[in-house]
Parts: sequence; C-alpha cells; structure tokens
Amino acid sequence: MSDLTHRPLDENTQDFLEQAHASKFDFHKLSVKAAGDEKLKRSIELAVMRQDEGRTSRLRELPDPDALRTLAGAIKQHALDHLDFYLEQLEANVKRNGGHVHYASTAVDARRIIADIARRANCTRCIKSKSMASEEVELAPALERAGIDVVETDLGEFIVQISKDRPSHLVAPIVHKDKASIAKLFSEYFAAPYDDDPRALTMQARRHLREKFRRADLGITGGNFLVAETGQVCIVENEGNARQSLTTPRVLVSLVGIEKLVPRLADLSVMLKLLARSATGQHLTVYTSLFGRPRSRDDDDKRDERDGPDEFHLVLLDNGRSEILGGEYRETLRCIRCGACLNTCPVYRKIGGHAYGSVYPGPIGALITPLMQGLERFKDLPQASSLCGACYDACPVKINIPQHLINLRRDIVSKRLESRRERIAYRLWAWVVASPVRYRLMCAAQRLVLRRRARDGWVSKMPAPGAGWTDVRDMPAPAPKSFHQLWRRRPR
Amino acid sequence: MSRERFMQNVRRALGRSGAVPEAPPPPHIDEPIVRLVHTEVGLSELFVRMARQNQMVVEQVSVEELAKRLIASLRAHECRRNALSGGGLVEKLQLVSALRADGFHAKSWDEMTLDELYDVDAGVTDVRFAVAETGSLVIDGSRAHGRGLSLVPPAHFAVVESKNLVPDLVDLFDQLSRDAQPANSVIITGPSKTADIEMNLVTGVHGPGVVHVFMVK
Repeated sequence: MSDLTHRPLDENTQDFLEQAHASKFDFHKLSVKAAGDEKLKRSIELAVMRQDEGRTSRLRELPDPDALRTLAGAIKQHALDHLDFYLEQLEANVKRNGGHVHYASTAVDARRIIADIARRANCTRCIKSKSMASEEVELAPALERAGIDVVETDLGEFIVQISKDRPSHLVAPIVHKDKASIAKLFSEYFAAPYDDDPRALTMQARRHLREKFRRADLGITGGNFLVAETGQVCIVENEGNARQSLTTPRVLVSLVGIEKLVPRLADLSVMLKLLARSATGQHLTVYTSLFGRPRSRDDDDKRDERDGPDEFHLVLLDNGRSEILGGEYRETLRCIRCGACLNTCPVYRKIGGHAYGSVYPGPIGALITPLMQGLERFKDLPQASSLCGACYDACPVKINIPQHLINLRRDIVSKRLESRRERIAYRLWAWVVASPVRYRLMCAAQRLVLRRRARDGWVSKMPAPGAGWTDVRDMPAPAPKSFHQLWRRRPR
Repeated sequence: MSRERFMQNVRRALGRSGAVPEAPPPPHIDEPIVRLVHTEVGLSELFVRMARQNQMVVEQVSVEELAKRLIASLRAHECRRNALSGGGLVEKLQLVSALRADGFHAKSWDEMTLDELYDVDAGVTDVRFAVAETGSLVIDGSRAHGRGLSLVPPAHFAVVESKNLVPDLVDLFDQLSRDAQPANSVIITGPSKTADIEMNLVTGVHGPGVVHVFMVK
C-alpha cells in the first residue's frame, strides 16, 4: 500500500520536527519569560477573567450546580469504567447507519488513516474545524505534506495557522494575541490596508474562508461527545464553521478521542447544560450539531437529503488514553475540555498556555500532558500549581486535579526522576529536622544570618540558594527569639 | 487487526480479557437537578424572552399575517434572493409563491443546489422543535430541509409554531431519542458569533448574522 504520509519530508521540516521533539522542555524558562510579558498578561486577564466570571454567574441558574457536576462526573466515569462495551455499541451503531469506523492507536496511525481516506476519495481541499485531538496528533501539517490544502476554519485557529503559532487556550486559542498583532498579520496575509477593528478583521476572514467552504471536498472535525446508543457525534461551536464541515464536503472525517463517549442521548442534556456555562458563560453554544452518518439517500423517504457528505468516517483515537484508563488516573479522562480550570487558575492567569509546552495547557494540561507524553520529559508540569484547589471547584465533571497532581509528584520521586540536587537537598532537610538538636541549631543559624542581613525589618538579598527567593521578593526578618525560646521562658 | 489490538488495549486497561455482552445501567438522571423548566404554561413567552437574550429578533404573529410580516422583514433586510424549506407553515402557506408574487426571487430548497445557496440573501425555514429553556431552534436535515439553509445565507428567518415548543433540553433529548435519528440535527441558539479577537463580540462570522424568528400565535 503506497502511503503518501511516508514520503520523506522536506529537509527543513524534518529538522524542525526533530529539534522540537528532542529539545528539553524547560518549564522554568518558559514560565519566567511569559510571566514577565505585560502585554500577554493583559490579554489573558481580559479574556480569562471574563470567562471565569461568566461561568460562576451562569452556574447559579442551575437548580443545584454541585449535584449536576456530580452527576456529569458519574456519567463520564461510568462510560470510562465500561468503555469496552460502549465502544463496541458505538461501532455497531455507526456501521448500521452507514458510516465507517477506524481505530488509531497512535498519532502516527491517525495521520496515516486520515491521509489514506483523503487519497482514496481523491480529496485535495480540506476545511478543518477546531479539534484538540487533531492538534494533539499534528494532523494538519501531515495532511499538507500529503498534498492536501488544509484550512483551519475556526477564526482563532485560522489566525494560529497563518501566523504559524500554537493555540494557548482550549476554548479561546488566540487569547495571547492582541488585535494590533492580528491586524498586522491580516494586512500582510491579505495584502490589504491595516485595520484593527475586530468586526472588519472578522469579515475579512469570513470572505476568505467562505470561498474555501464552497469548494471544499473534505471536512474534518473533532467531537465533544460520542453517543453510544445512537452512534452519533455531538459538536458544539459558536461560529458555524464546524457545521460547514458537515454540509459542503463530500467526505466527512471526525477524529475523536475514546474518552468522549457517553452512553445515552439523554446524557447530553446533563453535559450541555454544564459545558457552555463552564467554558464561556453561555447557557448553550450557538450551534450544537448531532451527526454521524452519510447524508440520507433513501429516495422513498422524506429524509432523503440534498446536501451533506456522501461518506462519513469516524476515527477513534487512543494515543495513550488506554494506558491512563488502566491506572489510578482514569478519572482524568472525564475531561470535557471546557477550559474552566485554566480560567480560574492563578498560575495559568500569570503565564498563559504556551509555557505548558503542549496542546493541553493549564491545570488539566499539567496533569494529562505528563500522563500522555511521559512524566520524564514533563516532570516540571505537576509542580506548576499552587494546589489551591480552584480547578477542582471549577471542574464540571469533578476531576480532583490537585490530588492527582500530588500523586504525580509522588510518582516523580518514586521513579527517581527529580534532579540530583533536589534529592540531596531533601535528604539533608530530612536529616536535620529529624532531630530536635539539629533542628534548633539550624534555626539559630538561620536567624543569625538573616537578622544580620535585614534592613528595616526586611531581607532583600540572600546568598544562594536563598537568592531564588529574594531575587523576586523581600523576606521579613525573623523575630529576635524563636517560639521555642519564648515557650521555655513563658511565665508559669 | 488494528481494531483488535485497539480493543484489547482498552479491555486490558479495564482488567478484562474478552468482549463483554453488557454494561450495568448508567447513572440515573435525576430530573429535579437537571431540569430548569418545570411547566408547560407560558412556554412561548419564555421562548421569546430567551431567544431575544440570544440576540435573535422575535416577532409574534398570527397565521394570517405571517406572509405579510415575512415580506416586510425581507424587504427591510434587502433580501432579494431567498431560499425556502418545505414543510410546516412555509409549505402550507405557499410562501414561495407569496414571495414571488411580491417581486422577490424565491426558490424552494428541492429545486436548487447547495452551491446556489452561497449566492442567496436569506434562508426561510420552519423548525422541528423550539426549546423554551434556552430559546433555541432545532432543525433536522431532510429532503425539505437542506443543512445549508440555516447556515450559508447571511440571514435566517425561522417560523416557529406553538406545537414545536418543548420546555427543556431534557424534553428535547427525550423526543430525539424516541424517533429514528436523522443524519443531521442542529440546535441553533442565536446568530453565528465569535469573540476570538480580544473578546469583542462579532456576529455573522461563518453562519447567519441575523436570525429572525416568527413566533406564530
């Protein structure tokens, strides 16, 4: 079988990919850089705080938001606990409806399967709607290498694509960009005069993409939910570009992670009431589509359709999910990618999404990125949290993110992945604090040194390793006497 | 082969060696915590209020004045070329002929192609359901209803009758589970919009920027 994706890559692309994959992920460096970027912080705060406020006020409309979150979590957990059964049920129903089901165990499989579908059907003009799964498997670049013109059609993703950037938020991919940079980009891309009015920019993209919609022969979407009992995919969106993918092209492919299953159509009422509220503070997104088969063809039936795809392919993606399913982190697969944990997270709010080094940023990303792509490479991410618990409170399916982050930190130590310096420092610390004499000696020494360095009650410069603290903030000088000393001399 | 390996990985993760014939029943959906609308009374008022909150324009009309009011709205929006669904009052009142008689260019969906729809100013459709809780329109793809009718033209005019109304999303999915599922259903809750650029709300990005509902009394 000749396979277009196995063609040797352009030399530059190859280099870039190798470097990107081999380079060390340095969370510290990325986050320090991001936290110092005032423009970035302003952009993030504007969007993220508003979405977070929208979420909290919208959830109050529900009769019992906490109980609904518990129910939503229980439904997803049930689907995960019996995923083998629901996958088979889904497969049977999609096939009965005239669709094809494909199984992608890895990102390579997903890219190969979809490139094959396109090649067999002679498709060359692809409109792609927003999908985290496709970002995860780097689908668009792979299809382009196979000679297919792939256009991202979500406005934010389109901007990401033409600026060769990466999305930085699950729901609002260009939350890190301001309108001036988008206006500059558009004036270059469309060779048009600079105009930073958001409406004018949006309409410019609309005109460009509308021609792409009209001529497309391949539509690619993700999926927010898979309904086992009916064999349907459910997609929510506000723009209408995913609907375009279901309407114009003759071939439709949906790439969906296996964790998206829910058993019943009725489960969607629970999920949808939480999803948009948690994501953007809407009670429902503008468009909720249910689909999962080729257009109806029965000429005797009134359902015979005159638009919609001739072929429907559902590509189910594992890519590390079954491994998570088999361990203590199964619950993390409940995630419905609403982004509420990002919006509420004090760390994400300061550093944005790119510092997390993967398509899944924020608290949920700090959790699933190491699980999916390896703890060794991403061992810094579980530390990217203050463990304040805001993400757990925000999660519509009640994933206990802080607890899982603590467990991952434990795994890092038990697998001896932490740095040598850290290991030695903690051993030394344990040795000191295990004995009252050593502990008091250490405290006395610390007090002596710090009080000598203090000016007006504050220490602003410490020698290494304490410099890490005082470089960015002052430290109050210790009291002249320790608690132990005061206690011993208390009046009786 | 890839399927077997794939399913084996999932089964192994769940501690099972072969296919399972059934699963225990999924969690019970406790209606009082899910349902927001508990009554059948006042549904059309609720629908109108919610649809307006979603930035749809809503006009309440009688059956007799529907054609006249539709024509006035199309004229106000300068929609000269129009595409209409079959079914419901759109068909019963022969709105295609009514529009043509008034000098509009009007075509029924079953006599046109999807590509022609890209040059049309407005799509006029009936709906299968209207959800009072969320102010949403529900439309199925069928011979009479192109998927593109409520998507491709820059304006969408929808005719809602009180018999279309369901109180809550719970009722909608209950209804949808009962029948055979169409190849495509869409729940529409406002004009197409985006807030990707610095959270500025812009309507009409890829779908219709105008959604105009005639609520027939």
